[in-house]
Amino acid sequence: MTFNRRQGLKGVLGAAVGGAMGSAALPQEAAAQTRAETLRHVMGGTVNSLDPTAPGSTRESYGVAMSVYDRLASFGRKQLDGNWVFDLDNIRGELAEKVERSADGRTLTFHLRPDATWHDGTPVTAEDIKWSLDRAVLARSLAPSQLSSGSLTKAEQFSITGPRTVEVKLDQPDRLALANLCVPFAIMVNSTLAKKHATSDDPWALAWMKENTAASGAYMVETNRPGQQLILKRNEAWKGGAGGNLPFFKRIILQTVPEAATRSNLMERGDADLSIDLASSDIPMLQQRGKVKVVSIPATNAFNAIVFNTQMAPFDNVKVRQAIAAAIPYGDIFQAAQFNRGKALFGAHWTEAPSSDFPQAMPLNLDLDRAKSLMAEAGHANGFATTFSFATSYAPFAEPMAALVKESLAKIGIDVTIQKMPDSQMATMITEKRVPFFTDSGTAWLPAPDYFFRIYFTREQRWNFSSWNNPEVNALAAAARFETDPATYDAACKRMITLLGDQVPQIMLWQANTDAVMAADVNNYTYWFHRQIDYRDLKRG
Amino acid sequence: MRVLRRIGGRLLASLPALLGVVVFTFLLMRVLPGDPAVFFSSGPNAGQAEIDAVRKDLGLDRPIPEQLLRYLYDVGTGNLGRSLTTGQTVVHDLGERLPASLELTLCALVLALGLALPLGILAAVRPGSAIDHAVRMVCTLGVCVPTFVSGLLLVYVFYVQFGIAPDPTGRLDIFAASPPDITGFLLIDFALVGDWEGWQAAAAQLVLPALTMALFVLAPLARMTRASMLSVLGSDFIRTARSIGLSRWRVVAVYGLRNAILPVLTIIGIVFSTMLGANVLVEKVFSWPGIGSYALDALLASDYAPVQGFVLLMAAVFVMVNLLIDVLYGIADPRVSVA
Repeated sequence: MTFNRRQGLKGVLGAAVGGAMGSAALPQEAAAQTRAETLRHVMGGTVNSLDPTAPGSTRESYGVAMSVYDRLASFGRKQLDGNWVFDLDNIRGELAEKVERSADGRTLTFHLRPDATWHDGTPVTAEDIKWSLDRAVLARSLAPSQLSSGSLTKAEQFSITGPRTVEVKLDQPDRLALANLCVPFAIMVNSTLAKKHATSDDPWALAWMKENTAASGAYMVETNRPGQQLILKRNEAWKGGAGGNLPFFKRIILQTVPEAATRSNLMERGDADLSIDLASSDIPMLQQRGKVKVVSIPATNAFNAIVFNTQMAPFDNVKVRQAIAAAIPYGDIFQAAQFNRGKALFGAHWTEAPSSDFPQAMPLNLDLDRAKSLMAEAGHANGFATTFSFATSYAPFAEPMAALVKESLAKIGIDVTIQKMPDSQMATMITEKRVPFFTDSGTAWLPAPDYFFRIYFTREQRWNFSSWNNPEVNALAAAARFETDPATYDAACKRMITLLGDQVPQIMLWQANTDAVMAADVNNYTYWFHRQIDYRDLKRG
Repeated sequence: MRVLRRIGGRLLASLPALLGVVVFTFLLMRVLPGDPAVFFSSGPNAGQAEIDAVRKDLGLDRPIPEQLLRYLYDVGTGNLGRSLTTGQTVVHDLGERLPASLELTLCALVLALGLALPLGILAAVRPGSAIDHAVRMVCTLGVCVPTFVSGLLLVYVFYVQFGIAPDPTGRLDIFAASPPDITGFLLIDFALVGDWEGWQAAAAQLVLPALTMALFVLAPLARMTRASMLSVLGSDFIRTARSIGLSRWRVVAVYGLRNAILPVLTIIGIVFSTMLGANVLVEKVFSWPGIGSYALDALLASDYAPVQGFVLLMAAVFVMVNLLIDVLYGIADPRVSVA
């Protein structure tokens, strides 16, 4: 028998020899139908943990957790320029059928769905929810630090108030408390099952849940080969979807294909259905040939920036930062590094922020004369020497960026050495605040302006790339999270953005496009805050 | 019996070298810049507390001598630690991936030898002829083109353009049922359960990556065969054989090749070990779940345990391969014995 690829797909599945143990023998037509109801997602990364909260879990595992586990509530989604994006301001129940917020904003009451069951068929109880919430704030995992950004820190905040109601009490009316219960870390766990595998050293079953699930979500894990592939099958009893609908795909295959060129080939041949991490240089070509669909959505909750270490000379001098900000050839960099794909965060001309949206276009423009006079004012008329660093994985856009920065800064007397570092080394150096001048990017799961500022521009911590320590911003960001009056909140955010524009601890550049490439008949792709695919949205045809 | 005792002696003698490799890799990983605790606690909002927690989990908060002793104890008890990248134990990962690498490397080696030996012999029998030049050119091309270029080229031609090759993603079509895990070698496992359709599917996946690897190692094998054959064919006993009227085939294939095979065996050993561990690019292009790409990913992520485990495994493989080659020497030429 000659073997070819097309027969491979149908034939191998269809005739997959009954004699062998465990091989499912399906008739040919059924196999073809299965293929239509199967989504094959190829990705460069790996899913290294089925519990997204496990320290060290990869981003890909967040996407899996969204589909396998339920949370109490979920963000909605909205149309933006013809594409679906998540909607932070429109939260609906997921495992809860109804969420009530008290007038003072300090009590959240969750009414559980009466018909909700775990994957093993047992009903979801209020005790399970209480245990899961406790786990999210007490276990030694990634969850507590995330949930603390919504003032969820203690087990005493969660109480069972009825057979199917759970109450969350807040000391202060935190704006992001409910939103924090929608993130991948706020998974609801079948506590009866998980407790069976808990030990005295590991009361929250962290070790067991890395490789097993105790969930109620839309999909169940069928097989898992860490580092290679993960297969999910639909949970036919799932009720947590919008309108109670089941997701379209019956099976999801997540396959690790390390080489981006191979992923492109698979997409182009129609053997894979979806990929969100193809090489950005391949995208225009794929789009042109038209065999696949490319959905490009600017990552609305992310930014790329050039960062100064504001605690390190000469970048502790605001004039130096302003001078460099006036000497960056923004348009050229956006063109060379990003092919103008995405949303520019430079080129505005305000002195007071016009809105409280963040990230928004900042007053950053190329003006070499201004840059030269600022350098003179700063006492660096003769310039200085510095290094510009970036991580290897950023090379596709950081290399052209670095070359243009070097060329342009030479015109105001700054001699730039370009330094490329392996990712883990770069991460270490940034965390230890030892890099003076570099490029990095950030994403906020909950893109409220005050959250952005709290994470990226305050406190001495890793994500404050520039180690910016501005007393006014610190105070505003700390207060804004509890602000219930929209006008006051808006004013505070505008003020922080204005200060960022004036003090330039980092130069905001752009929001890159997320390019999701999918088979022409795959629809309903949604851009989510966790930047992974929510398989529950997708359908074919 | 004497041979067995000598083999045992050789294995024992390799233990200090293995220990050295373990200690050296251990220290090297810790000298390299890049902190796994920082890298793996890069979740949103992860702060110093998370970094410290990961560091404590990994035992990296202890002094290095203590870490080393603990690691040596673990290695002694067969525990190579846990990979942060895959979340599995290193022993499990290597156990799953080594057969994949071995299967690919062995197939590539057989393919390469099948091409290199005849080519080398042909070139040696007619030195300076058109055949000789053609062989030289093929070898030069093979070694000049980097494997990821030839690999991507093969994928482009046979998969993208003509669609006759299966999609280049791993050892088996993603929709195909895998065989029960008996040896880990898919070709053997499929054959054992008599699933010939599956066997074909697995073999089809192997063709392109094996060909890519074979092209790359063609040159050393063919050139060494040629050089070695040339010197043997010029020696006295070959002249004698010819003069007493033995057939040309017998002279070249039996008396010539057998005497010329020793240096080729040496090269085979080296080529095999290199192919097994260093063919990261081929593994990446074909999404082959092998040990080379596994170790590289771990290295880039500063994931200590898998890198250390990989180096130890490779050192052990080197020892075994060298021993095997020495035994083969003895078979090829009874004057040589396992020393």
